[in-house]
Amino acid sequence: MYESIGPDRFELIGVAQDSGNPKAVGKWFDRASPTFRCVIDPTHHISSLFGWVNVPSAAWIDEEGTIVRSNEGAYPGESTVRFGIGKVRFGDDSFGRATRDWIERGADSEHVWTSAELAERLKPVDDDTRLAEATFKLALHFEAVGESDRALRHFAAAQRLAPDNWNYHRQGWSHRGTLYAGLKVLRRTSHLRKTTDKSFYDPTGLPGEDFRRFTAPEWLWTPVARRVKQLLQR
Amino acid sequence: MIILANGNTTEIAQRTDDAERLWVRVGELPGATGWQMKPQGMCLGEMCVPLPDDKVEEWIADAEDWVWMCYSEFADMIGQQYARDGDVWSLGSVPDVRRSGLEIGIAPDFEVTERSGDTLRLSDFRGRKVVLFTWASW
Repeated sequence: MYESIGPDRFELIGVAQDSGNPKAVGKWFDRASPTFRCVIDPTHHISSLFGWVNVPSAAWIDEEGTIVRSNEGAYPGESTVRFGIGKVRFGDDSFGRATRDWIERGADSEHVWTSAELAERLKPVDDDTRLAEATFKLALHFEAVGESDRALRHFAAAQRLAPDNWNYHRQGWSHRGTLYAGLKVLRRTSHLRKTTDKSFYDPTGLPGEDFRRFTAPEWLWTPVARRVKQLLQR
Repeated sequence: MIILANGNTTEIAQRTDDAERLWVRVGELPGATGWQMKPQGMCLGEMCVPLPDDKVEEWIADAEDWVWMCYSEFADMIGQQYARDGDVWSLGSVPDVRRSGLEIGIAPDFEVTERSGDTLRLSDFRGRKVVLFTWASW
């Protein structure tokens, strides 16, 4: 997207929000060999500043330094994550299209938020949320200095204080390994899909958004199971 | 003692006779917390918060050859949350800063290191459109 719109027209800054595992980030960077600016933010400082609770999240910042849009689930297109015998598909190109429109038309883009809309969409920040943030940073510190027990204790406390903050869950779970974190995400999303109206991402409200409350994973046998179900229903 | 604040980790001196509260040497306040003590009160950038008259004596103390400020009491007053484990104190965001900045849409400034090793400051891109996004390997 960056290259097709034109690097001379805007600055694209990618923030890798990973603690404890710089190697993992390095591997991704090397594979993608991005041409835009890449920074690593092991303390999730930027998400704290912008009030983001999941990845990917994105903000458009205009020439005056004003935030004119800020969304979770800001994918440039549809993505697929594979994990052995299954895969999850998510995202669509609505945010990418809207971003292109904003870069071309600036303040005339219909996707730009007014300051009133921005204030309305900001997540309310209460004492528990702020305490969760401080607690999460404590966990990251102990993770960085290799004190795993203390890190896990504070990750768990932050997750309890701010249960809707996926960054705290996912980063905390990944302390026990990628596989553990992946299974926890599947388990929690499956539970929430059945029991709540909550979403993995807040809808962006952009035209063409393929909004799914929680995306169900597709397993290797899913197409066969679907076909059998159809046959039985006949 | 270690302070975690604004994405930074700072090691500072510890006042030994009151371990229950967070005391910071006045000279170490800006580096550790972002706040600076001025005649008009405690200041963070443009914002200044006067200290209550009846608290000045309690919160600012001469001890162990230094002037200290009881930061945890100040944090309680302004509603800044903090978490502590042993000698590590982690400070949450300052409520008024977050409110005043984000509600009128000013992008909060930050300074981080690029993968190339250069320092990137958001405000350096004034005059250009910026798309800022987060991602993670997990």
